[in-house]
Amino acid sequence: MPELTVITGGTERKITFPGGLPLRKILEGAGLLVRSGCTGNGACGLCLVKVEKGNDGNLTKNERLLLSASQINEHIRMACQMAPQGDLSIRIIDEGAKSAWRELPQESGRPITAKSGQGTGTASPGKTFGLAVDLGTTHISFSVWDMAQGKRVFGRAGLNPQSRFGSDIITRLTAASESPEKARIMGRLPLEAINGALADGCAENRMHPADIRHVRFVGNTPMLALLTCSSPAALLRPDQWTRPFDCAAADAPVFAAALGIHQQASVKAVLPFAGFVGSDLLAGVLATGLMSAPGSLLMDFGTNSEIALWDGTTLWVTSAAGGPAFEGYGIRCGMPAGPGAIFRASRRLDGGGVDFHVTGGVRARGICGSGLVDLIASLCVTGELAANGKFTGGITSYPVQEKDPAICLYKPDVDMFQRAKAATGAGVRILLEMAGINAGRLNRVCICGDFGRNLNVANAQRIGLLPDVMPGKVEICGNTALAGCEDVLLSLRKAQELEQIRKRASIVNLSRAPRFEDFFLDGLYLRPIPDGNP
Amino acid sequence: MDKLITAILDGDSAMAVSKARQLNASGLSPEKIIIEGVEAAMSALDTKCTLEDFNLLEIMLAGRAVMEVTKLFWPSGAVKDSAKGTVVIAALEGDVHDLGKNILKMVLTGKGYNVVDCGKNCPLQKLADAAAAERPLAVGLSGLITTVIPVVRQVKGALAARGLDNVKVFAGGAALKQSTPGMLNVDFVAESAFDVLRFLSGLGKGIR
Repeated sequence: MPELTVITGGTERKITFPGGLPLRKILEGAGLLVRSGCTGNGACGLCLVKVEKGNDGNLTKNERLLLSASQINEHIRMACQMAPQGDLSIRIIDEGAKSAWRELPQESGRPITAKSGQGTGTASPGKTFGLAVDLGTTHISFSVWDMAQGKRVFGRAGLNPQSRFGSDIITRLTAASESPEKARIMGRLPLEAINGALADGCAENRMHPADIRHVRFVGNTPMLALLTCSSPAALLRPDQWTRPFDCAAADAPVFAAALGIHQQASVKAVLPFAGFVGSDLLAGVLATGLMSAPGSLLMDFGTNSEIALWDGTTLWVTSAAGGPAFEGYGIRCGMPAGPGAIFRASRRLDGGGVDFHVTGGVRARGICGSGLVDLIASLCVTGELAANGKFTGGITSYPVQEKDPAICLYKPDVDMFQRAKAATGAGVRILLEMAGINAGRLNRVCICGDFGRNLNVANAQRIGLLPDVMPGKVEICGNTALAGCEDVLLSLRKAQELEQIRKRASIVNLSRAPRFEDFFLDGLYLRPIPDGNP
Repeated sequence: MDKLITAILDGDSAMAVSKARQLNASGLSPEKIIIEGVEAAMSALDTKCTLEDFNLLEIMLAGRAVMEVTKLFWPSGAVKDSAKGTVVIAALEGDVHDLGKNILKMVLTGKGYNVVDCGKNCPLQKLADAAAAERPLAVGLSGLITTVIPVVRQVKGALAARGLDNVKVFAGGAALKQSTPGMLNVDFVAESAFDVLRFLSGLGKGIR
C-alpha cells in the first residue's frame, strides 16, 4: 500500500493507506484532525494541506472555486477533495478544533459574588454546588457555584467538540439525522468535554464533582435538542423554527453520570423559546435586564445572530443567518478570536500600513471579527474602500502583514462581511419596524457574546453594524447567556422572571418579512444605519 | 442605449427606467431595448463577476434596475412574449432562502427569458404544476441549505410524471454547487447565475 507522510507541528508521521480514498478520510482514520467546517463535500475550503512531495492529482471544481491563485501555486489542496494513489508527503496547514479549556475570564457571567445567594434546592449536609452551562455551537462556557454563599468557585470556556460534525448548525443537524446512533454520540460529546474540565477544575479547587447537585443548561435550540436527543432532525424543517420546541426529555441520572456529578442531581435545560430562538437569548434578556426600559435592543453576533427588542409591551425576538464572517470563518485571512488573532486594527493616516493588536502577544496569524470591523471601517475612512464594498484606486486587496504568514484583505472577504452585516442589519430594522421605534431613539443597545468583547463601537457604527446611537447607550455585556443561566441556577425568583420574559416574547420570521430584501440591500452598504426607513 | 447600459451597471434604477422610457418614446421597441440595452449590460456584468471580483451589492443593484426596466414594458415583471422561452425557478420546500434565486431571476429576465418564479419553500407539486402549465425550456432550482438535496433529486421524476421528460433541470446555490449533476439527478449544476445563461443558450429554443 502507498505511504503518506504527514508533517504536523514539527513531527512526521507515516501512514499506509488504500489508494483512492479521500485524504481527509485517511487523516481522520489515523486520528489526525484537519480544520473543517463542512462534512467533507468541498463546501467550506478549510481543510487545507500543503503537498510537499508526490503526485497529488488534478484540482477539482470545488478547489478551483475556493483556492486562490497563490495557494494553487504553493501546492495547497483541500484534503477532502484529493484522493492520492501513490506515496505522498503533506503538511497540515491548520489542525482541527482541540477542546483546550481555559479559565473563564473574571468579567464573564454575573458578578462573582451574588448579593443574595438563595439556592433552588433544599439545604443538605455539607456544601451544595451548582453548575451553569452555556452550550454554544462553537464554544461551551460553564461555571461552578457555591449555592449557599452565591459565590463562583471557578469557570471554564472551551470549544464544542461536536464541531468535527460541522461548524454550522445545519451541517450538524444533517449529520445527526443520519442515524440515531450518530445523534447520540453527538449529544454525548459536550458532556464528556465538560466532565473532563469539571474534574480538573474541581481538583484544583479542592471540591468534589459529586457535590454538584444542580445543573442548568442554556443554549440555542439545536444544541439543546442534540444534548437531550429530542429529535434534532425535526429542526431542519422550516415549520418548526417559530414554534416552541420541546427539549425537556433530559434523563437526569444519565446526564449526572456522564458529567460525573451527584447521582440525584437536578439536571435541567432551560427550554428554548422556539426552533430558531434558544434559551441563550432568553437568558441574555434576563441578565441584561433588557425589559427594564422600553427601546432596548440586544444583539448577539454569530453565524446566526440573535436579536431582541423590548418596546415596553412586547419583546420582539429573531435570528438572522448571515454566515460565519463575524467568527472569522469564510474570510481568507480570517480566524476565530484567540491567540494570534488581530482583534484591533487601524489604518495609519500618514499613509504607511496598518497598526494592529494581536491576542496573546504572539505573531499575527489572521484576523478575527472585531479586527475585521476595524480594518474595514478604517479603510472606509481613508477612502480606500468605497461604501459599496469595492476597493478604490485600482487595487483589489489590502495587505495587513507582508509575510510569515501574509495577511491580506481581499474583495470577496469584504463581500462576505457585507452579507453578514446586511443580514443582522435587516433583522434589527425589521424588529424596529414591528415595534415602531426609530433606530436613533433606542435607549440601550446591548452587545452580547464574544464578538462584542473587543468591538470598537465607533467603527461598528461607522459601517452600519450597530445603530447610530450615542456611544454611552451601547453596552458591551460579554457572555450574558451564561450570566442568565447562573441567575436561573441560583435564584428561584430569576427563574420565574425568565418564564415571564418567555410570555412577553414574540418571534419574527425574517424570511417572511416583506421588506427583508430592501433592508438587506441597504445593509450591504458600508455606511451608518439610517434613522428612518429606506 | 449606452446610457441605459451604464445606468444598469451603476445600479441606478431611476436613471435606467428614464433612459429606457426615452428610447421607447423615440421609437425603439421594448424587445430591442431589452436585447441591445439590458442584455448588453448583463454580458458586461458577467465578465466583471469573476470569483475574485464578486460583489453581491453590485449585482443586486444592477438586478433591481433590470427588473424596473422590465416592469416598465411588462408590468408583471416577466417578459411574457419572450422569444427565448420560459424558465420556471424555485427554492424548494425546506429552503426559505431566496437571495440566490432572486439574482437568477434578475439575470435571466435581463437576458430576455420569461421567468416564472415559484418562490421559496416551494412544494415539489407546486413546481411541477407550474412547469406543466408553462411548458418551459428548463426548470431551475436554487438551494442554500444542503437538506434540500433529497427534494432536488425528486424533481425530474415529478416532471416525468406529468409528461415533461424533455424539460431540462438545472441547480445552483451555495448548498448545491459542490455536487455533480448525477448526485442531484439534474442535467446541469451551475456555479453562478451567469453559468446558467451559458447552459440555456446551449439548449436553443424550448417547447412553447
